[in-house]
Amino acid sequence: MLVKLKDVYKIYGEGMESEVRALDGVSLEIDRGEFVAVVGQSGSGKSTMMNVLGCLDIPTRGDYLLDGTDVRELTDKELSHIRNKQIGFIFQQYNLIQNLNVLENVELPLIYQGIGADDRRDMAMEALERVGLSDRVRHKPTEMSGGQQQRVAIARAIATHPPIIMADEPTGALDSHTGHEVLGFLQRLNKEGSTVILITHDNGIAATARRVVRLADGRITEDQAQEVDWL
Amino acid sequence: MNIRQAIKMAVKSILGSKGRSMLTMLGIIIGIASVMTIVSTINGMNEQNLKQMEAMGTNRIDVSAYLYNGQNAFEALYNYCNSLGSDLVLGVTPNSNASATVVYGSKSSTAMQKNQENMWSMDGSQQNQGNVALPPNLYYGSDQYSVCNNFTLAGGRDLSAIDIKNYAQVCILGARAAQNFFNYADPVGQTMQINGLPFTVVGVYAEKDPNSNWSMDNVIVFPYSVSRLIQPGTTMNDFTVKAASAEAAVEATSRISGFLTGLTNNGKSGNGYANSNNQWQNSVNEQATMMSLVLGGIAAISLLVGGIGIMNIMLVTVTERTREIGIRRAIGAERSSIVTQFLIEAAMLCGIGGLIGMALGTVATRVAGKLLVHVDIWPSPAITVGAFLLSVLLGVVFGIYPAAKASKLQPVEALRAE
Ligand SMILES: Nc1ncnc2c1ncn2[C@@H]1O[C@H](COP(=O)(O)OP(=O)(O)O)[C@@H](O)[C@H]1O
Ligand SMILES: [Mg+2]
Repeated sequence: MLVKLKDVYKIYGEGMESEVRALDGVSLEIDRGEFVAVVGQSGSGKSTMMNVLGCLDIPTRGDYLLDGTDVRELTDKELSHIRNKQIGFIFQQYNLIQNLNVLENVELPLIYQGIGADDRRDMAMEALERVGLSDRVRHKPTEMSGGQQQRVAIARAIATHPPIIMADEPTGALDSHTGHEVLGFLQRLNKEGSTVILITHDNGIAATARRVVRLADGRITEDQAQEVDWL
Repeated sequence: MNIRQAIKMAVKSILGSKGRSMLTMLGIIIGIASVMTIVSTINGMNEQNLKQMEAMGTNRIDVSAYLYNGQNAFEALYNYCNSLGSDLVLGVTPNSNASATVVYGSKSSTAMQKNQENMWSMDGSQQNQGNVALPPNLYYGSDQYSVCNNFTLAGGRDLSAIDIKNYAQVCILGARAAQNFFNYADPVGQTMQINGLPFTVVGVYAEKDPNSNWSMDNVIVFPYSVSRLIQPGTTMNDFTVKAASAEAAVEATSRISGFLTGLTNNGKSGNGYANSNNQWQNSVNEQATMMSLVLGGIAAISLLVGGIGIMNIMLVTVTERTREIGIRRAIGAERSSIVTQFLIEAAMLCGIGGLIGMALGTVATRVAGKLLVHVDIWPSPAITVGAFLLSVLLGVVFGIYPAAKASKLQPVEALRAE
């Protein structure tokens, strides 16, 4: 089992009147190579779940085993290494660094891996080629459209060849055409062996996933496998 | 991530956001330059003041010696002072006014005296001294008179020990006295009548300070020995000793006091007493201490203001970058990588800004010195280095402190920052 959440809670302001249970006892298992869509309304706890899965946040209570390791036991440094090597993140707001150009943004996770300049450049260029942006590597993010920026973010996520891709509403800020393009990238990555966790509030997008996990008020209300046509 | 990569990353980050980098450097530049300029200018003014006071006669010891047997104490004092050596005492001279009528051609000090009386009587206030010839101040001096009173020769020769020994009927004119009597003609070699006796002008002093009171230059100096020709029966009790430096003045004062006490005690001169004091020195020292206190206060305040400016800039830019820190952490940066990068960035910006600030501060100090206080001022190395080190230290501390704090957040919290 690649990912295993057991009775996980994320509670903001616990014990107070305004307490929010963003995750309210979630248990979930995801296998290597799966394509899972997490759906639910806004505020249902989808992002919170992805942040916990991606080691960007720690749960209030509950166990999280990643590839068999209890994440709570890991140091901050080890968590950084997991985020760096095991997971590629794609965010709704792209989260590129504005004062670095496209190539520098894509190279960033490779720098933190300590990869030398030449190899780094090759790997970053390869990733940019895959998203069709190898001709714009010197541009700053602000000089590009939303769809292009999200492709840069995808290139950054896949540059390290991580086994897991986590995307939080990656199409949320895009028109439907570029949204489908992004979705196509994720499907291709999954076909090549990556585990993809896709978060969305859009049922249409969820319909393209082989497995759909439905969240409401921090709880899983549905967990279903389905047939898809793109495989 | 190794150091070379961290440096490269810092450079990329600095070059990638030129606006922010310029703003940060501007804070440092202005901080350093203003501290340097303010402190150096005040320092320069202070030194200028001290120099002016020295020109008027610091390092001067005023000695009074009374010998009750009516004998002249000067010769003994002169010999003693000259035996002290030039690292303590530069010269000694009587400081006694003479009173006599001075005549040259149609000009006389009696007529000048009338001028002065008329001036005062007209409306009770003194008129512009510059246009009216006033009677000269007459002094009896030793061959070291000019040294003791900071005069330099403009022409001719100074008084000599031989003049004194031979009761030579010679005199030296101050610049104003020379102008009053000789109207810019060369007085050297001319003969003046002093109380009816012929005295040859052998030298003229240079104007002491164009800005100073003219009466300083309206002087005529005679060898002190001729007092017995001009004013028989004169005794001299007041003397001036010129010390080599402020520290030497303190030492010389106590030595001379001891000498004068010994002089009265060993029976050679009968009854008498002696004292010496150095009011000039005291007031100058007091003033210097006060100035350095004021200076220290101003330096501290300007450093504080400059430091707060630098601190603000660093805090603001780094807080703005919390989201960037979140992104870097999300894609795998360790805390130490973040802190290293921000440390290098801050050190580079502060270092470059510091160098520019030092250059600008030097120029500004020179300009301020020329325009405001008309003095040639170079910033002191201590102030320059101090301002640089403090600014860089503040820049680096306040550059990495918020970064270190932000790197301790869960990445998701840093990412939420706007
Ligand atoms: N830092 C926070 N402090 C307090 N409440 C939060 C915080 N982050 C998220 N929440 C709350 O947790 C719930 C789940 O949020 P989120 O996971 O972002 O929902 P989704 O991504 O499904 O829209 C929401 O009610 C949200 O208001
Ligand atoms: Mg969300």
